[in-house]
Amino acid sequence: MTVISLENVTKDYGHGRGIFDVSFNVKKGTVYGFLGPNGAGKTTAIRHVMGFSKSQRGIVTVDGLDSWTNASTIQESLGYLPGEVALPENLTGEQFIQMMMDLRKVNDDTRCKKLIEFFELEASGKIKRMSLGMKRKLAIVTAFMHDPDVLVLDEPTSGLDPIMQQRFIDFVKEEKKRGKTILLSSHIFTEVDATCDEISIIKDGHLISSFNKQELLKITEKVFNLTIQNETHFKQLVQKIETNEAIHLLFKNEQTKELQIGCYPSDLSKFIKILADFPVSSFNEIPFSLEKHFMKFYDRRVGGELAWQ
Amino acid sequence: MINGTIFKQTLRSNVKLWLMFTIVLSILQVVMIAVFDASTLENVGGLVEGTPLAGLLAQTTLLSMLASTFYSIHGVIFPIIFIIMTANSLIASQVDRGSMAYLLSTPTKRSTIIMTQAIYLIMALIVMFLIETVAGIVSIQVFQSDTDIVVSDFVMLNLGLLLLMFAISGISFFFSSYCNLTKNSLAFGAGIPIAFFLFHLLSTVDQSLDVLNYFTINALFDTTAILEGENYWWKLSVLLGIGIVLYIASLEVFKRKDLPL
Repeated sequence: MTVISLENVTKDYGHGRGIFDVSFNVKKGTVYGFLGPNGAGKTTAIRHVMGFSKSQRGIVTVDGLDSWTNASTIQESLGYLPGEVALPENLTGEQFIQMMMDLRKVNDDTRCKKLIEFFELEASGKIKRMSLGMKRKLAIVTAFMHDPDVLVLDEPTSGLDPIMQQRFIDFVKEEKKRGKTILLSSHIFTEVDATCDEISIIKDGHLISSFNKQELLKITEKVFNLTIQNETHFKQLVQKIETNEAIHLLFKNEQTKELQIGCYPSDLSKFIKILADFPVSSFNEIPFSLEKHFMKFYDRRVGGELAWQ
Repeated sequence: MINGTIFKQTLRSNVKLWLMFTIVLSILQVVMIAVFDASTLENVGGLVEGTPLAGLLAQTTLLSMLASTFYSIHGVIFPIIFIIMTANSLIASQVDRGSMAYLLSTPTKRSTIIMTQAIYLIMALIVMFLIETVAGIVSIQVFQSDTDIVVSDFVMLNLGLLLLMFAISGISFFFSSYCNLTKNSLAFGAGIPIAFFLFHLLSTVDQSLDVLNYFTINALFDTTAILEGENYWWKLSVLLGIGIVLYIASLEVFKRKDLPL
């Protein structure tokens, strides 16, 4: 079942800024990652989901309701974490939490207390005096205090320390297990990598790639590092690999007798059969990272590096 | 329609400014009533006879003196400054800073937010002038008990001023709702009321500048008409109408606009 849906949404702010003909669906119980460099249009798309902006073309729906005309109804079961923390500064953290509870008509504060404890929020002081990270935690607590079914997270871990970032990722995974639908925008590969099922890359307002992470894993070349015990076998193996089309030699070091080998999942068993005849002293896989795969999309100039000067 | 939680929060963050302006306005009113002495004014009147200032001091009743001072300068500019600051902080500055996102990420309608903020601004003005009027009446009883004063005229002056401020607050509130940036909201929301104030002030300086009166709504608060029993109701109704139209426009514009949150 589709929970968040964008259909051919266009919003042109002029000067090439905005989003153009963006379509994607977030299914119930999945985490949808929205990746892209700064200024690519991630926040613009989220504004439309939240009903802050009206699209020039296309339809945005949440739970089947038009997000512009039913904005306030949608918010009942939606938790939003904005990319920029801008809290009312004259309140204390506790007053702000109380205000948000009142506005959301949440009477039970057990979940709120749990969140405060989990994220180690110190809410008693004035918001004006809080550090950026503390404000961020306050925003997290108020975004999820009503246990929403849909979470919209705009660069959620920016401003958090590494421990809290990890804790937040754990939190997102836990919410996913509980069947929550999550839209997460980020430009940090690790958090998208750790949490998302479906991923879209947006650049200059256009969706340039959408894929399922599991499927991507199946079609990507795996890379292995291995060390051979002696020189004779090392040379024999290199020769064998070089003549085999399914296996690719990426790197070799004759002194340490190390090899780096690339191989697609479908040819993996062939590779292992070859290896079985050799005295291998170490063998490990280099974990797949989205970062490597998608760095090419990140560069603003298609097709190449640009020198610093 | 109106949200108690938002109203409470608005009150908490704006009440200090309101209190300051209310106190200053009331003190000004009390002092001006207290220092009034008809005989001194007559003496000064004799001094300036034949000069352009003579017209200013021609009538020497307490109310006419207040009309040409408090009700055209101090009592106008102070509330205008209050309105400018408050109207901007109620909407535009929250949109500009982004804190409006928190209100809108709760099941609160945009119309509820606008109406709650508008009610705060209108209530603040009504209570401000109520306190100022009461302070004025009390100080008339205390300091000018032997002078003959028509209290109903005094009340009408204050009601007229309140209606003028209601219309002006409509201008500032409209631009606060319309603009996404504080700087734009202030450029129009402060610029227009101050221009109106200056036009009206200049028009009283010399007859040749009378034409400026056609370019300011401040002229609709006609103190002379109130004191001399001429018909002033239509002018005050126009002020009320301007205010109502602008507040409705604010609501409609905010409901329909894109918010950069």
